[in-house]
Amino acid sequence: MKRISLLFVLCSLIFTSCEDEVDITLDKGEAQLVVDGFITNDSNLQTIILSRSADYFSNTTTPAVTNATVKVHGPNQSYDFVHSQDGHYIYDPSTFGALDSISFPYKLEVIYDNETYEATSILQPVPLIDSMTQMYRAKSLFFMEGYYAQFYATDFAGRDDWYWIKAYKNGELLQNRPTDFTFSKNGGMMGLEADGSEFLGHIRSAITKSDAPFELGDTSTVELLSLNEAAYNFLEEVVTQANNGGIFSAPPANIKSNIKNTSGNLENKILGVFSISSIQTKSLIISN
Amino acid sequence: MKHFFSFFTIFLIAIAMYAQEYTLEGHIYGEDNKEPLIGATVRVEELHTGASTDFDGYYSIKLKKGTYTITFSYVGYEPSRQTIKLSKNEKIETYLSVSAKQIKTVEITGEGATKNIRSVEMSVNKMDAKTIKQIPAFLGEADVIKSILSLPGVSTVGEGSTGFNVRGGGIDENLVLMDDAPVYNSSHLFGFFSVFNPDAVSEVKLIKGGIEPRYGGRLSSILDIGMREGDRNKVEGSGGIGVIFSRFSIEGPIKKDKVSILLAGRRSYADILAKPFLRKDLRKSQFYFYDLSGKLNYVIDDKNRLSFSAYYGNDIFGADFLRFKWGNATSTLRWNHIFNEKFFLSLTGFYSKYSYAFGLDFKDQGIETGFDWNSAIVSYSLKPDFTYYLNKNNQLKFGIQSIYYDFKPAEASFSTDGKDQDISMTERFALENGIYLQNEQEIGANVTLLYGLRWSHFAYLGPGIKQNYQDTTAGIRKPLKSVEKYDSFERISDYHFLEPRLSVKYSLDEFSSIKASYNRMTQNLHLISNTVASTPVDIWLPTTNNIKPQIADQIAVGYFRNFKNDTYESSVEVFGKNLKNQIDYIDNTDIFFNEELEGDLLSGIGRAYGLELYVKKNEGDLTGWISYTLSRSERKVEGISKGEWYPNRFDRLHNFSIVGNYKLNDKWAFSANFVYSSGTPVTFPTNRYQIQGVILPHNVQEARNNYRIPAYHRLDISATLTPRKNVEKRIKGEWVFSVYNVYSRRNPFAIYFEQDEGNPEIAKAMQFSIIGNFVPAVSYNFNF
Repeated sequence: MKRISLLFVLCSLIFTSCEDEVDITLDKGEAQLVVDGFITNDSNLQTIILSRSADYFSNTTTPAVTNATVKVHGPNQSYDFVHSQDGHYIYDPSTFGALDSISFPYKLEVIYDNETYEATSILQPVPLIDSMTQMYRAKSLFFMEGYYAQFYATDFAGRDDWYWIKAYKNGELLQNRPTDFTFSKNGGMMGLEADGSEFLGHIRSAITKSDAPFELGDTSTVELLSLNEAAYNFLEEVVTQANNGGIFSAPPANIKSNIKNTSGNLENKILGVFSISSIQTKSLIISN
Repeated sequence: MKHFFSFFTIFLIAIAMYAQEYTLEGHIYGEDNKEPLIGATVRVEELHTGASTDFDGYYSIKLKKGTYTITFSYVGYEPSRQTIKLSKNEKIETYLSVSAKQIKTVEITGEGATKNIRSVEMSVNKMDAKTIKQIPAFLGEADVIKSILSLPGVSTVGEGSTGFNVRGGGIDENLVLMDDAPVYNSSHLFGFFSVFNPDAVSEVKLIKGGIEPRYGGRLSSILDIGMREGDRNKVEGSGGIGVIFSRFSIEGPIKKDKVSILLAGRRSYADILAKPFLRKDLRKSQFYFYDLSGKLNYVIDDKNRLSFSAYYGNDIFGADFLRFKWGNATSTLRWNHIFNEKFFLSLTGFYSKYSYAFGLDFKDQGIETGFDWNSAIVSYSLKPDFTYYLNKNNQLKFGIQSIYYDFKPAEASFSTDGKDQDISMTERFALENGIYLQNEQEIGANVTLLYGLRWSHFAYLGPGIKQNYQDTTAGIRKPLKSVEKYDSFERISDYHFLEPRLSVKYSLDEFSSIKASYNRMTQNLHLISNTVASTPVDIWLPTTNNIKPQIADQIAVGYFRNFKNDTYESSVEVFGKNLKNQIDYIDNTDIFFNEELEGDLLSGIGRAYGLELYVKKNEGDLTGWISYTLSRSERKVEGISKGEWYPNRFDRLHNFSIVGNYKLNDKWAFSANFVYSSGTPVTFPTNRYQIQGVILPHNVQEARNNYRIPAYHRLDISATLTPRKNVEKRIKGEWVFSVYNVYSRRNPFAIYFEQDEGNPEIAKAMQFSIIGNFVPAVSYNFNF
């Protein structure tokens, strides 16, 4: 409840609440295999990242897993993801083609340390981005002075669709913090849906940061990705857990993975997610 | 029903009939304000027996023909002694005058000092408004809920959080009654203050165990708050000006000796004071609370009295784009009727509502978005309670209570782009009934029993829906299978229970006694909240076909002893509790706007046990008390913490508090208060992993509440200056200087983790303290 913490800020105007950094010694847990497997249907290089979990306060990049076998099974063939460096396993669609069979359940297979892990993800379609617009706003309570971009797309009618909206400013990802991640079900938000019609204003305008809007000459780029319900839930839990803290926070919980150990060793659990998305991209150069 | 009848038979056999007796009855009033004295003592010296007065100052004793010396007494008043020749039923109305000696000393209690050892009651603490006002308080403002935190067995999850925890129970397990009307959220300003205005309160009674059959509906405790009656003789007023709010109350007769009224109000003014310091665009911000309490009393005749009391209060937070308001409204109408000297009726009707509204509107900010959310729980009740003095040794009480509930979790809409979406949740209705019968029986000079039974019934009613869920592995969201519609007043689900209660007292000698009690309680209202501290927007839900009634069985045993002519009273109690159908939540459950919430709930068992020590000094220049609690509160839920026992969020192993008041002279009085309690449990991760560049926590053991935040301790002091009284002056005043958190302890409320701004790979543990410093305050109180 982000809104409530805003109220607490109001409250702390009166009271002398404070935050201090403290030293905590945590229990150590066994490291586990982690899959960061978000791939798309386009012809760019596709990457799946494998790593291992580490002590919570290890405070460096978690260790890469370099000796696993990573495959994605498509309708007619399997695609090998080959390790390049730092746990990045890469498939180049210019060799055997893009993974673009809409409605097909793509299957991830990871073999690591003599154990096999599997997950499936159905490739959902994504609507075209019709257009992008810009609008100038003066400085106000919620906005800095500058140009605000919007994108227009129409949700598919009569079915449930989940989207992930990624925005870039001059090629740099804007939503690099979990608080800024933007998701949408049926082009809407908070139970208000836009099934079969244009995405709602909140989602359309989520591609500009209100504390750092665009200037003349900047390039605004939006990527619209389709998601499965499982991947959507996973990302929502990521946002919840990464922002969890304070007075009105819920007890921290482990995020459920959609990947299973199929070697029969149920003790050896795996973390992370496998998700395949259709992607649409559009850019706008901010001009007079 | 079979059990009920066999119980009833035993009940009747247990009541032995006695020879011809006469009733001595009447009221005890304070001569100063003509108010009934609650808990005043009537003692028959020859027989070493006695009675104490009820909430109306009424007493009644059965005696055989004879001559007796009767002493009427009440702390702070001169005792009155009379010799009576009893050969028929007698009525004695007594007015006690304020003790000249006592008024100088600090009065600590309204309770007859020996009551704690003589009465069958155990696990009960009482505090009057005077005592509450003496404890040094946050920003100098006396507070009912904060005061009871100094009692054994009572704790809180942290500074400024709503409610209180009794003997390892959740905050929703306390039945908080203001003149018999339940208060569903007792907090102002997120919990820094409670809604009860000490100026309107006469006495607070906390019942943690040995709960009498006449109470029901919650598992852990009853907090019975009685509102004060207005003075029947003269107009009086009082008030106070403090740092955070001001108070004013006025009372007096409308018709002398017949009708009296009391009105009390408070308003905070942080918003007014803060305005000049706020940014220009935030100046329209509002944040304040207010409350109004009132009571009207009407003495119709010797046999009939009528009272009406009401409370209305709200907290308001707002800005240009934000509107947030929450508050309670309660009212109670009570008719006391005396059929004859043995048989009384108290007929009570109440209305109680807790509601909140949350709205966002960004239109002025150039965003076409609005959000509107209203939520409420409304209840209506009728409750006849009968008391029948069967004979000298048996006091029967029986009655019925019916409460009708209307739950409105959300009447809400969300709009953007000119589209409006109704996101309201289904309204729910329920009817709760209770029937009880209890007897307080004296057997010989040393033994008193209080036993009885409560039959409780809860019906989840239409119009509404019955959701049927498919079973899953524990911890996995249950999918909705089907939904059935029900019409008005159709029963969707119902439950009934028999709740046996028993208390025993055995007097060892004049100064000490041992007591034991057992009680079963059931609860059908559930506060849906999975956050660290309860929020004002938490919702109450009834028991349904999916949410089962919570059940608690408690056993308590205690030793009570007074020292030095009742100057000191002390007690040792141990308790054990077993709980069933405790509610918990599947990981990452969304508790708001979730129509299928019942599929996300988990059910488990709980246990709590502990030891409570209490010593209190009642008289002298130095008064006060020390309480210590050693306890555990745990829960076991399939689907959480691998199905193992884990500590509740409000588990506190040690809880210690000491309150001292010292009267130096007529001018100066000092008070101090120190509290220490073990840290509350929290869930911490063991590992980290990275997804899309985000550091995520993971707990390999899947353990809940596997760590404890550091212990909480705090010292508060206050000094009260009463300037030399000018006899000419009608207004008397006093200054209260206080310091809260004297040694500036930064008590942790929560510890959580965040990523470093500069380098997201570095995680830091952050400790959040609500009060980071000492808080000095001064307030001026007056009365006329």
